[in-house]
Amino acid sequence: MSAAFDSPPHAAPMLRVILRVVGWCGLGLIAGAVALSDFLAHAPAGAANAGSILDAPSPAHPFGTDLLGRDLLSETLHGLSVTVGHALLGTIVAIVLGGLFGAVAARLPRPVGLALRGVMDVFAAIPALLLGILVIGLTARLYAPLAAGLAAAPLAFVRAFDRVDTKSTHAEYARATGISAATLLRRDLTYEFRDTLATVTARALAAVTIILSTVSFLGFGATPPARDLGLMIAAAKTSYLHAWWTAAAPAFALLILILCARLAAGLDESERP
Amino acid sequence: MSDGAPIFELAELSVSRPGAVLPELDRFSLLLGAGESVVVLGEAGSGKEALMRVLGGFTEKSDAISGTIRLGNGEPRPAARRLRPAIRIAYLPSPLAQPFAPHATVLSQLSRVVARKLGSPQESAQEELRLALERMDGAPPLSSLNKKPAELNPVTMAWGLLAAVSAQTPDLVLADHPLADLGPTSVRMLLGVLAAEQKRLGFALVYATGGLQPATRLGGRVVVIREGRVVEEGDAVRLASGHAHAYTRTLYRALPQLSLDRPKARGAPRGQPLLQVHGLDLLADPKRGTRQGLTFELRRGASLALIGEEGSGRRALVRAVLGLDRAPVGRVVFDAVDLNILSQTMTSRLRRRIAFITGADDALDPRMTLWDTVDEPLRAHLDLSGDLIAGYREGALKRVGLASHDGRRTVATLSAFDRRRLQVARAIVGAPLLVVVDEPLRGLDAFAQTIMREVLTDFRTHQEPAFLVVTSDFTVAQARADEAMVFKDRKVVERGAIVDMLRAPKEKVTRRLIEAVTLPDLSRAPASV
Repeated sequence: MSAAFDSPPHAAPMLRVILRVVGWCGLGLIAGAVALSDFLAHAPAGAANAGSILDAPSPAHPFGTDLLGRDLLSETLHGLSVTVGHALLGTIVAIVLGGLFGAVAARLPRPVGLALRGVMDVFAAIPALLLGILVIGLTARLYAPLAAGLAAAPLAFVRAFDRVDTKSTHAEYARATGISAATLLRRDLTYEFRDTLATVTARALAAVTIILSTVSFLGFGATPPARDLGLMIAAAKTSYLHAWWTAAAPAFALLILILCARLAAGLDESERP
Repeated sequence: MSDGAPIFELAELSVSRPGAVLPELDRFSLLLGAGESVVVLGEAGSGKEALMRVLGGFTEKSDAISGTIRLGNGEPRPAARRLRPAIRIAYLPSPLAQPFAPHATVLSQLSRVVARKLGSPQESAQEELRLALERMDGAPPLSSLNKKPAELNPVTMAWGLLAAVSAQTPDLVLADHPLADLGPTSVRMLLGVLAAEQKRLGFALVYATGGLQPATRLGGRVVVIREGRVVEEGDAVRLASGHAHAYTRTLYRALPQLSLDRPKARGAPRGQPLLQVHGLDLLADPKRGTRQGLTFELRRGASLALIGEEGSGRRALVRAVLGLDRAPVGRVVFDAVDLNILSQTMTSRLRRRIAFITGADDALDPRMTLWDTVDEPLRAHLDLSGDLIAGYREGALKRVGLASHDGRRTVATLSAFDRRRLQVARAIVGAPLLVVVDEPLRGLDAFAQTIMREVLTDFRTHQEPAFLVVTSDFTVAQARADEAMVFKDRKVVERGAIVDMLRAPKEKVTRRLIEAVTLPDLSRAPASV
């Protein structure tokens, strides 16, 4: 008798809304930086000897230079561009193969749907990084973005599957008046996906970025001259201890990208989908 | 507290929510003495809720409150200040308002509340509860409350809540729509017990309601409020007599009386059989052979009421008839097609000519917009241009009074009344042959009930679909149908013309259902429950 009458309803989570807005603004700025990377960069991608070797940050090279004398601001902008491009490709794969198929599978005859969910559950239990490396091993490093998307897809599949409520009262009434399963699916895709697409995309973007960067760092992903942020951090392994800026610039860019995506997704990992 | 001593006095009470255009309560004053009762009657959002919050002391931080309150013999104090009340106040909510936490038993939660109020150990409180239930005629035993809320039916929970109130021996009871939507027989019985407990314990009673049953059955003082202001206050007899404010008269128009007159012919003559049910038995075991099954027919444009208490088998029959659940034995023919021999796809096609109007608030997809909800049957079943669909939609929305609403609003943002009318609009565009009307007035206040009755009558008059009415209320049945079947324990116990049942009910359950909606004649005798 207590809960409903003794306490006022919960206040709107304004802080979370603000953080989401901050996250999307951050992603917007990153998208702007990517779009204008060729203009903002001091030097073209991979241009060696833009300055002397391992220069500390200075007005001429705000992020310093690396072992080959490349301007790290320019390299970070180019690396960010590559990482974002690949991550977006992987995100699309994760959403389509995971979210969309999950929503469709939930409407298949119950035994078939549950069997598919069981299979996806097994894949979702494997660490996504290992799954990504496995897929790259079975295909080629060229397909690293697709592999990252595939690695993130099982979790998206399970979340989308569980979100579909085929037993809802309104769905039952609709079926009782002859509304077909296809129309109900269209309803869910229209309303559910429309309302959550931004969140799903941001969450998948964060997950795929982490997988892609780690795969590249381990040497299974991007190959020069297309250097992404993970590969840049890997390349700084030998110089990092005496020239911290060589790894700090790409790591910071990666951190900002993932943080903004997480904020845009609402931070709470337990929140569906 | 001696009889007649003031229990509380509210003076110039105003309650506002931030951002709201109108205050929830606007300079509301009320004085109530010990043993007195007052029924606060109004639509949803009329200010009853704010009144209960202030009296119960569970106002919200965002409430802007002015005015004074005096409890018992204490001094008047600002109503905005929360203080420990000088009198014992018991709160009686609706069991359908989910007043219990889901993971503990109802018995333990009620015992805890009683123990806290009495300052006694939980075992003593439980004993008080047992004694209270034993005093009440028709109440279930204490052990029946030893279940989680999801496992109990609302009527049993209502008994428990009432017993908890009685066990607290309160000075004041705040009844917040406690019996809304429980079915007329249960409402009648529980109101009788509440009145008897009030007489025995002498507590004052504030009964907030949107329906007229309590106002009519409890009698006494009624305060009619609208948009936070008192429209009028007076004796239930006078308000029901018609010598009242126009708004009050509108509310009382929602109080249909049973008529013993033969119904006039409704519209066009009845057509060919639409729904034929042969030997349907919901309880039959095919291995043992069938018992006497149910056979009936509904012609095009005709109407039939399925009357009974919750769980009596009316909805099970509807589900079986419409092919949503397979009955173990029997045959259902809809529009000359045997549903039992059709595939799911074909059954689904036939169901296009069926519409539902139900009292369930989740019957519509809350994510859909108002326009999409009405358009969907047209888009799903017909190949029409956007202009034609918009035309049909506008026509339907006008007929139910929703044309002025923003069509891009989602169903979730609509009131229960608007959602109910939206169901009718969706049914109208589908041009159904059969409309299943399942407790269409449930949860609506008196004003909304009046409009809803008119909307349904208009729908029936213009499109002449057959109506299958599922209800526990004979007045609803009589307004929508000429014939009825009365259900008990998943069996039909009586069937025939409604007017014949009203004149000479054959079965005890029929008599009880009729008595439940036969209201006392307020103009002749003092009100009684």
